[in-house]
Amino acid sequence: MDIAEHMLRTGSRGFRDDLARAVEDLRRSTRGLGLAWSLAWHDVVSRYRGSILGPFWITLSMAVMVLGIGFLYAELQKIPLATTLPFVALGIVFWGLISQTVIEGCESFVHASGMLSQTSLPMLTFIWRTVLRNLATLMHHLVIVVGVIAGFGLWRDMDLPLALAGLALVLANVSWMCLLTAIISARFRDIPQIVISIMQFSMFMTPVFWQPGERVGVMDAVLTWNPFFHMLDAIRAPLMGVAPEASTFSVLIIMALGGWALAFGLFTVTRRRIVHYL
Amino acid sequence: MNGRAKPPTAPPRPDQAFISVRGLTLRFPVYGYDAKSLKKHLARVAVGGRLDQARHGSTSVTAITGLDLDLRAGDRLGLIGHNGSGKTTLLRALSGAYEPDEGQIEVRGKIAPLLDLSLGIDPTATGLENIRLRGRIAGLSARQVEDKLEEIAAFTGLGPFLAMPLKTYSAGMQARLAFAVATAVDADVLLMDEWIAVGDADFQKIAHQRLLGLVERAGILVLASHDLDLIRLYCNKVMRMDAGVGSEVVSIKGLDELLARPSVR
Repeated sequence: MDIAEHMLRTGSRGFRDDLARAVEDLRRSTRGLGLAWSLAWHDVVSRYRGSILGPFWITLSMAVMVLGIGFLYAELQKIPLATTLPFVALGIVFWGLISQTVIEGCESFVHASGMLSQTSLPMLTFIWRTVLRNLATLMHHLVIVVGVIAGFGLWRDMDLPLALAGLALVLANVSWMCLLTAIISARFRDIPQIVISIMQFSMFMTPVFWQPGERVGVMDAVLTWNPFFHMLDAIRAPLMGVAPEASTFSVLIIMALGGWALAFGLFTVTRRRIVHYL
Repeated sequence: MNGRAKPPTAPPRPDQAFISVRGLTLRFPVYGYDAKSLKKHLARVAVGGRLDQARHGSTSVTAITGLDLDLRAGDRLGLIGHNGSGKTTLLRALSGAYEPDEGQIEVRGKIAPLLDLSLGIDPTATGLENIRLRGRIAGLSARQVEDKLEEIAAFTGLGPFLAMPLKTYSAGMQARLAFAVATAVDADVLLMDEWIAVGDADFQKIAHQRLLGLVERAGILVLASHDLDLIRLYCNKVMRMDAGVGSEVVSIKGLDELLARPSVR
């Protein structure tokens, strides 16, 4: 049941009590994940209503981008196309998942203001809605992923379980980013613009289409301290049959734990007021 | 169960719907246009917060002050009061959307907040899709929605139009659909905010029947309205609100006397 059969709401009784309420919200939202999925799927369907290709329009434009950038960077960086194209394809598809989820995270609460101000639906349902919506979009783009894996024979060397573990860790990380941006954007309406700028900047700083060369100097710093590099590499490297950096998975785990602690802490403190921000 | 009203101090039976509100105070922090821009927020911090504090400091509006309310199964409460007296705020608090600043709200039973007919309605989706979506939001499982789909569809009387997007509907048709879905949920506690009359005369008649049935099934109804005839029709108790302060709950027979008071404050 998504609506509590028994509801008890009280004034704030301190942080511990607020934390318990936030955990209760989390518990109810995960139990009602079906609702989040229904909303997410509805979003996908309604976004592409009236178009022939539906969500595959993005897949198509992505495929065009992959081909264009793949050929160009193969030429620019003097790297064989057989390496560049899968690299670029996987890079663009999974970068899309990461950046789109974080950017759309900003709207998670703002768009749900109607529902949040007159029902007792758990607030985190709307975070899962954003994450699941982007996961549904990713499913369409898997056409590209499967295409390059089959076309370039990546399946011979790839480590699928490790890539899936990487995907799970990436989702754990984008979810907290989503929650964080959702809360702050509800309060300060200029945050979405900032988030978009940050994600755009990060796209160029992350080896999405360019191959990282030798890890010296600036390059080393860019890769080591860029969380998005680790997120992308955790999925892409195993699919390319390359071992991800030794530190990548530990970075992602620590980042997920720290990020969730931060985002959930903020959620605990602001939860009562978020509905008034909207 | 005897017909007499129980004294208000008797504890409610655990298996029955009840609403218990104790000393409820609700404040709305007001985030001015200025406060919503981070740039200005930062600018304020940067200059040491010496800008006009009164203009930039967060103010709050107290919407409800120290409200007590006890309702149990069979109670149908009419909320009356001027605009801005806190009726809708109280309904939203009862729906669980607003957290109390002080005091507590306890509600047992499935709550159906019918505050806004357009809740969760997507104008680009078809009628059927909207029924499914709205049903899910109201707390029905996917299976329950499918089970009820036919009944809801029949009730709207929209027939083939259900396959059309909602934006092609007239206002009355949209209201029919929204009403049908909103009232399809079996609830113990029904919260309504002034929207009972929808559609044409024919539809109003069946809508009325449906509402009566719903009120009968639901343990508790809380209806905020300015229409006293409506309150007399559906409610057996009434409470008046003035600037966030609630009067005591009186029997519907005391409505005129309650109205005659200058103010409950």
